[in-house]
Amino acid sequence: MKQLTALCENFGSAICMLARSARHINTLPRQFPRFIEQCYLIGYTTLPIVTILSFFIGSVLALQSGYSMQNFGAKQFIGTLVGLSMCRELGPVMVAILVTGRAGSAITAELASMNVYQEIDALMTMNIPPERILVLPRLAAVLVMMPVLAIIANLCGWYGGAIVCQYTAFISVDTQSYFAALKRYMEFNDILDGLLKAEIFGFVIVTICCYIGLSVKGGPREIGASVTRAIVVSLIFILVLDYFVTKALL
Amino acid sequence: MNSTQQTVRVGLFFLLGLALAWITFESLSGGRFFKEKGYTVIAPFSNLKGLKNGDEVLMAGVKVGSVFRTRLGHQRVEAVLTIDPGVKIPNDAVASVQQSSLLGSNHLEVGFGTPGAPLIKDGDEIKTQDTVDMNQVIAQLGALGSKLEQVAGDIGKALGGGGQSASLFNKLDTLVTETGPRFEDAVSNLQDITAKIKNGEGTIGRLVNDAQLHDELLAGVTEIRNAAAQASSFAVDAKAITEQIRSGQGTIGALVFDQKAGDDIRVVARNLREISDKLNSGQGTFGRLMTDDTLYREAQGLVKKADRALDSMGDSGPITAVGVVANQLF
Repeated sequence: MKQLTALCENFGSAICMLARSARHINTLPRQFPRFIEQCYLIGYTTLPIVTILSFFIGSVLALQSGYSMQNFGAKQFIGTLVGLSMCRELGPVMVAILVTGRAGSAITAELASMNVYQEIDALMTMNIPPERILVLPRLAAVLVMMPVLAIIANLCGWYGGAIVCQYTAFISVDTQSYFAALKRYMEFNDILDGLLKAEIFGFVIVTICCYIGLSVKGGPREIGASVTRAIVVSLIFILVLDYFVTKALL
Repeated sequence: MNSTQQTVRVGLFFLLGLALAWITFESLSGGRFFKEKGYTVIAPFSNLKGLKNGDEVLMAGVKVGSVFRTRLGHQRVEAVLTIDPGVKIPNDAVASVQQSSLLGSNHLEVGFGTPGAPLIKDGDEIKTQDTVDMNQVIAQLGALGSKLEQVAGDIGKALGGGGQSASLFNKLDTLVTETGPRFEDAVSNLQDITAKIKNGEGTIGRLVNDAQLHDELLAGVTEIRNAAAQASSFAVDAKAITEQIRSGQGTIGALVFDQKAGDDIRVVARNLREISDKLNSGQGTFGRLMTDDTLYREAQGLVKKADRALDSMGDSGPITAVGVVANQLF
């Protein structure tokens, strides 16, 4: 019961934090340098790992599906399988996980440090709401960067699958056929669904990471624990939300 | 890293994302940028059977274009095809929707058409042919299965005995049991008959075993055959004669079918009857000659007289004899 009460309290506090951030949305143009900095940290620095990981996810997906499908002569549908899987599911989810690990942990660590070393208290003393300069730019940045990362992840995954199909002996599906199959059964709405998922995941990740960072209490040891907690909670929320969002979008 | 560099990198990164999103959208929705080059051909069908945008258009298995889009027409559906610029399709070529695999993908197969026929131009319609739908085939197979099941049920009932009637096997058993002794008798009789034939007994036995009888029989058969041939020839002749008679040729034909000849014959018969009546009644010279023997007697007396005159002439010359005869006569 105590844990349930704590859970509800955390939910409520997070929503209140979001509400306070939204109240300062008119200050966003004045915080453009902070917004760009967060875009750089969340999007640009995450790009290499997203590119590499998505490429190999697409490759492995093509390899596994080619191995399975060769038994019943459905290799011409590998492009369809990889394309739809990447854009509807794997692309957004993998980007969300990587952003959690790469940017979410950094956000939590930074805010937790500021909290532990009373920088947050100092801001509040100066009548500067921490949500305005610490949460709002990050939320705006993640909403802008997540679709970009997701579409890059999709393309890298598709090309990874195409290369594997072309150069793997037991698959031997040429790139033209691969992309023809990919285009035949896919519509731009599938891409949009994936991008919407990525937006939702990014918003949830930054909300959780900011909230846990801002709600740290205690000494410096709590900084590491809060980072771990933020990542675990974010991953759980990503996977749980993935089911409900997917069901809603189908 | 200063703030400007950071801003430039973020801006480029964001523009890269926008460009990739636009390329993906154009590629998937068949936009202008990625539109395939070629000319457009309309293929009307009553049912597209799952043909979708982007499906291949094949000619003898070689890709010659793709389905640009599908749309509803007036009481029909149309597939708008984009054919590669170098591909020439005669206007009598026929297009049909074919299944590419059992997993449900389709393509449009275009025939070669007649060499030398006028070519299809941009925007023209191509002749199409509806193919058999697998669903229809499966439905027909289902109906066939139901009928087979019904037939199998009927056979099962017939074999196992449905309702109050005895089964087929029971009927067969009864039949064999009842007719067994009679069948054995029949077989025994057949054995006797064949034994007699083998021993040359009876007509068939002699016929089988006696070569001379066989030859005579053959000769008899030959004669019968000749007689039949002659009868056939006779029948042909009779038929020809009948034809002639029917056509009024010859005497009998004239008698049978010529009205004038019939009238003449009728007149002749009437005349003959009248003559015979007169003869019978002794009218006229011949009638009296036939019915009255006076003339006969007078002629007999005259001959006697002539005989006597000849005897009395003796050795008188011929002139004298003539004179005597003439004197006696006149």
